[in-house]
Amino acid sequence: MASNKYDVIVIGGGHNGLTNAAYLARAGKKVLVLERRHVLGGAAVTEEVFPGFKFSVCSYVVSLLRPEIIRDLDLPRHGLEVLPLDGTFTPMPSGDYLWRVNDHGKTRREIARHSKLDAEAYEEFGKAMQAMCRFVKPILSMVPPDPSTLNPRELMKLLFLGKRFQGLASEDKYNQVQLMTMSAIDFLDQWFETDVLKATMSASGIIGTFLGVRSPGTAYVLLHHYMGEIDGAFRSWGFARGGTGAISNAIADAARELGAEIRTQSPIAKIIVKNGRAQGVALQNGDEFYADVISSSVDPRLTFLKFIEEAQLPGEFLEDVRRYKFRGSSGKVNIALDALPDFKCLPGPGAHLRGAISISPSVEYMERAYDDAKYGNFSRRPYIDMVIPSLTDPSVAPPGKHVMSCFVQYAPYKLRPGLNWDEQREAFGNNVINTISEYAPNLKDIIINKQVLTPLDLEREFGLSEGNIFQGELSLEQLFFLRPVPGYAQFRTPIKNLYMCGSATHPGGGIMGAPGRLAALEILKDVKASPQRANQRAPKVQEAG
Amino acid sequence: MAETRDVVMIGGGHNGLVTAFYLAKAGFKPLVLERRRQVGGAAVTEEFSPGFRCSTLAHSAGPLLPEVVRDMQLERHGLKLVNPEIGVTALSPDGRALRLYNDVRKAAQEVAAFSQKDAAQYPVLQESLSKIGGVIGEALKLTPPDIDHPNRADLWSMLQTGRSLRKLGKKDMYRLLRWGPMAVADLVAEFFETELLRAVVAARGIFGTSLGPWSAGSSLVLLIRAAGDSHPAGSAAFAIGGAGAVTQAMAAAAQAAGAEIRTNADVKEVRVKDGRATAVVLAGGEEIGAKAIISNADPRRTLLKLVDPTHLTPDFVMKLRNYRMSGTVAKVNFALAGLPKFTALSEAGDRALEGRIHIGPEIDYLERAFDESKYGNFSPHPYLELTIPSLTDPSLAPAGKHVMSVYVQYAPFKLKSGGWDSQRDALGNTVVTTLSQYAPNLPGLVEDAQIITPKDLEDKYGLTDGHIFHGELALDQFFTMRPLLDWARYKTPVQNLYLCGSGTHPGAGLTGGSGANAAREILKELRH
Repeated sequence: MASNKYDVIVIGGGHNGLTNAAYLARAGKKVLVLERRHVLGGAAVTEEVFPGFKFSVCSYVVSLLRPEIIRDLDLPRHGLEVLPLDGTFTPMPSGDYLWRVNDHGKTRREIARHSKLDAEAYEEFGKAMQAMCRFVKPILSMVPPDPSTLNPRELMKLLFLGKRFQGLASEDKYNQVQLMTMSAIDFLDQWFETDVLKATMSASGIIGTFLGVRSPGTAYVLLHHYMGEIDGAFRSWGFARGGTGAISNAIADAARELGAEIRTQSPIAKIIVKNGRAQGVALQNGDEFYADVISSSVDPRLTFLKFIEEAQLPGEFLEDVRRYKFRGSSGKVNIALDALPDFKCLPGPGAHLRGAISISPSVEYMERAYDDAKYGNFSRRPYIDMVIPSLTDPSVAPPGKHVMSCFVQYAPYKLRPGLNWDEQREAFGNNVINTISEYAPNLKDIIINKQVLTPLDLEREFGLSEGNIFQGELSLEQLFFLRPVPGYAQFRTPIKNLYMCGSATHPGGGIMGAPGRLAALEILKDVKASPQRANQRAPKVQEAG
Repeated sequence: MAETRDVVMIGGGHNGLVTAFYLAKAGFKPLVLERRRQVGGAAVTEEFSPGFRCSTLAHSAGPLLPEVVRDMQLERHGLKLVNPEIGVTALSPDGRALRLYNDVRKAAQEVAAFSQKDAAQYPVLQESLSKIGGVIGEALKLTPPDIDHPNRADLWSMLQTGRSLRKLGKKDMYRLLRWGPMAVADLVAEFFETELLRAVVAARGIFGTSLGPWSAGSSLVLLIRAAGDSHPAGSAAFAIGGAGAVTQAMAAAAQAAGAEIRTNADVKEVRVKDGRATAVVLAGGEEIGAKAIISNADPRRTLLKLVDPTHLTPDFVMKLRNYRMSGTVAKVNFALAGLPKFTALSEAGDRALEGRIHIGPEIDYLERAFDESKYGNFSPHPYLELTIPSLTDPSLAPAGKHVMSVYVQYAPFKLKSGGWDSQRDALGNTVVTTLSQYAPNLPGLVEDAQIITPKDLEDKYGLTDGHIFHGELALDQFFTMRPLLDWARYKTPVQNLYLCGSGTHPGAGLTGGSGANAAREILKELRH
């Protein structure tokens, strides 16, 4: 039966799974993508939660999407349009605020209001971070080496890294080692004196992690988020027109055009493994599909502990997978608004509402939010990152109305004994509303409806284990050649023909597409392009970097 | 200018004495200048109350590097070390005691009373720690390579370390890579289920640092310590006569080798002429010229106080100001009318009393203690490590009486409100209150108490910002980055001025590691 036989089956139709499928189809493979939900995109999805109100339900901004993917898959032609998201507005309880925009002059003057020294330092800091990004970027497009082998190819990679590092100016070396080892605040303390500036900048160092702004390792995550680029400009975030789901749809469209078959509402029951080889998948409805290669974009816990019998896997590997840290730490509140929120410190509508609005008024505020989470409580006063995409893209809300998306941290997946998220959901949502209301008192009156997503909801709805939006902590011991687990950072698994291609693999989370693309390139190294389709094959893709 | 020496050592702490010894042994005539009336720095024995003596700061010796003990023949110079068979005992408020014997089998038996599973895991962790610690131990003895222009020797030594790294085998090698940046709370959870055991092992990853057990990188601190002592919770080594006896023996060894020691000699300034250190100036105004000047003081005191910073580039000064060294430890030394009775331990004669006693029963307890310090308050429920040295060395206290030496963490150098002088008694009371939950009769026994706040550590002992290790032990200040990236080779931007204290690689504790490494590098310089 040919109909259920493919070259590659991709498990999960998130942006990485789709990217993986597109690159494989592009190389002439017969690819089938199986998505559990009724919509594609995984955590990069747009849904009409309330009639007329379309939300980027989980992930809400673009910044890390790899330019080579946009190019290779010609995403703009498939409908990807990125609209600018300019600046970050940080209201303060004092009635003051900090408002940074892409316009250097403006931002400089704004920061100077708080500290002349910091205004100077900010320019320098920007340059330093760009140098760091230039150093790290190729690593995002590189398959991690395996430091435990003596295989020359692997050693060359290590040498390549060593040489690149050697190539840095000593000043940049200094910054680089600090970024890899320090906490966001320790790092920022060296540059700035303004508390609110450090607080709001450090926020990007903790997003999606179970770390505080003072936890070593967060400086790297800071960089990870700094790397955002659209049309080559560093640190410029953006909205996708139609919400982040539009990104997934563009990739899906490209994949289909390249010949991939995509099925939604096709939840997997198990991966069919016979004598150490993955041979296919069985759906919950009993259907079976077979392929030479199975590529899983879901996280390792689902792939190895749910879809495969333990007996098929080596004990140490299982140990490592069980140990792999998810620790979801964030929730999401999506609000349908009748009007715009009105901030005490900068009343009325204005450009400050078009960018990110960050509730991160002080370093202590951020750190105390983390302290609550350490002991199993959601933050009494959480860090909140808000955007109102309807101001930039009216298509997502009825005329005159708005959608506001609030990313909330910390919301620990594991609440302290006696609490459970189903009972805490409402309190959690109200706490977010109350927190924002302290800065924008009119909020409560303009709420038409709201959707509260706890880490438990993220797990149930989107298959993100423990609600971790990056399919696993971005902590140093789970990065690069340690991601997801030691010895298996090259997208391969202990099971022949089974690969990983999701955010749980290098270089990790965010709408980057890099894992999906890199995994595809590794898969193609292992299997030759099927000749009968070779004529359709697109020009060979180079491993960037 | 009065006299000129070939080598002048600023400060007679243990690392300074070790460096001085090796230089003297090599035929130089180092002059050690110590500010206080006795050498030893943070490893001293002092009478803090009439008739009561104890190791006022560092209270356990080492683990000293075996080669240092051997080369300096410290036993011959009067050092007697005792190793209580129960190295560490962890107490829980509900009256249980976890006795961790140095003998791993005995320790495992004790652990079995809490959890069979943990009892099986305990030797596994020790095994892994001794293997990994072995590799780290090699790195601790290396001079960190020159980042910009590594020379042949650097590359060779790195290659050697790389080799032994591979010898670890895949499993332990990956453990080393994975554990290094990890939170120690995660590491202990990988092995143990017993909270008390988790806490006492994790404590080793946070002692003397401004890290909590949930701080990433705290595992590295544990691994560095494992390099000298692979007992998961560490063991205990005490010098008869207190920690001061260690440095006294070192001083004797250095002098025997030809070093000269002057106490009450407070160096106020390092003279610099066109980029070269030429002399030191004492408090009295006396000036002593030297071909080489070595500082046992911390990097900031040396380069920002003793040296006029105008001799340094603004960039270097900025980086050194950012060198993280804000202390988190205080010390309280008690003069006791008798032996405290711990609910969890039997009366006198319990060998557990002779080792280190750990108070901090849960990971969360330790983390909460840390939380307060982040906001500039000392912990209302601090993590304590105490010893009762008078049990192993009765000469320290009047007959029948005892001294109890207590480390208190966290006590941040910078308080949010009020200076330390106004908080000293509050800190002392917090310690007594905490202890009385474990030894109810303690308050009645206290005859006197010496409370050493982080501020006192700076004022009395010259530890800038009260940091007992001359700087945070953390990934960003380790190896080639200690004290600063590319200034990890015991030299400074000022020619003829060297560092040999804990602010240099490997730093950390009473090991003599920094002093020995520094001596090796400085000798290379002096010889050509």
